[in-house]
Amino acid sequence: MTSPNVPVETDRLFLRPFDRADLDGLVAYYALPELQRYLDWKARDNGDVKSALAGLAKEVALNRPGDALSLAVERKSDNQVVGHVSLRWHDATAAQAELKFGFNPIYKRQGYAAEALKAALTLGFDEFDFHRIFARCDAKSQASARLLKNLGLRLEAHYREHALFQGEWDEELHFAVLDREWQRDARISEFHIHRVA
Amino acid sequence: MRPSPQLPIETERLILRPFSRGDVDAVFVYRQREDVARFLFDAPMSRETCAEAVQARIRQVSLAEEDDRITLALERRQGGEMIGEVTIIWRSVTDRQGEIGYILNPDFHGHGYATEAMRAMVTLGFTDLDLHRIYARCDMRNTPSYRLMERLGMEREASFREHRMVKGEWSNEYIYAIRAADWPLP
Repeated sequence: MTSPNVPVETDRLFLRPFDRADLDGLVAYYALPELQRYLDWKARDNGDVKSALAGLAKEVALNRPGDALSLAVERKSDNQVVGHVSLRWHDATAAQAELKFGFNPIYKRQGYAAEALKAALTLGFDEFDFHRIFARCDAKSQASARLLKNLGLRLEAHYREHALFQGEWDEELHFAVLDREWQRDARISEFHIHRVA
Repeated sequence: MRPSPQLPIETERLILRPFSRGDVDAVFVYRQREDVARFLFDAPMSRETCAEAVQARIRQVSLAEEDDRITLALERRQGGEMIGEVTIIWRSVTDRQGEIGYILNPDFHGHGYATEAMRAMVTLGFTDLDLHRIYARCDMRNTPSYRLMERLGMEREASFREHRMVKGEWSNEYIYAIRAADWPLP
């Protein structure tokens, strides 16, 4: 495995490596407690986010199991960072990867997360030849669960009280999709959710 | 919490006791079998490998740190035969999580011995070991194993498809679990 062809371009987004100039974009959402649970870089304040950015910016290639590829999700129309996606390579013989993501809530309900995750999954299957990609989320995070389900991932696990998080027992969902199940040509626009506030 | 529980544990028909060197032949009887190894991570074992396995199990009688295990031989009270083994693994100290498993000599299947032994191990996990949640996993094709978990009142929490390779094959796995609050203590 190696570095991917980046940026990945979708209808409205670029997925590209992080750089120092992304601090403002990342500070806007990265340390939110409800997002922190499943992010790799722990951050409680802007100083932590700066360290997280330095870490994310180095995650540009998958050379060995344990490595992550992290990409900023940039809106083409105004170059704003709306979120990020990561693929972490887990198991060499079984070609498994975990998909992680975080999006700034002020951009929600516009389908950006679905558009970016779809591109990340296609990247994982087509460029890195993963056999299976899974994603985890808090059972209380209905938006994440709906997002993963709508992308065609299967709910494979619902753990109850398997770990403590911030002093409380968690409930965790696992979603997964196999290479042969992944619908590469499904129109992403089907997943846009338009809502009247 | 008592990480060094009082042993042996007696159930209605079984004694759950530490392994001893004399168990090698009885272990070899079932661990050499293809049908026993089919859904285990290990391949069928030679007698030498069984001797090493027994040697390791002799020391598995208390927990000191994460991933330590207590492994006990199952002995029939009537007859005295060693018919299998059960284990409980300390998977997370801070989150108080444990995993249980069992292997039973197929000549003794169908009498509820594994269920009886596993019930004792779950009780051990929720009392002496003060666990919050205990889980068990098995291959999706291993119907007797997940039926046992269901009999114990464990619930299916996961159905993983092709999430790892085991002995050159894609593994499909169920995870069953139960929380202390849902376990009827004797």
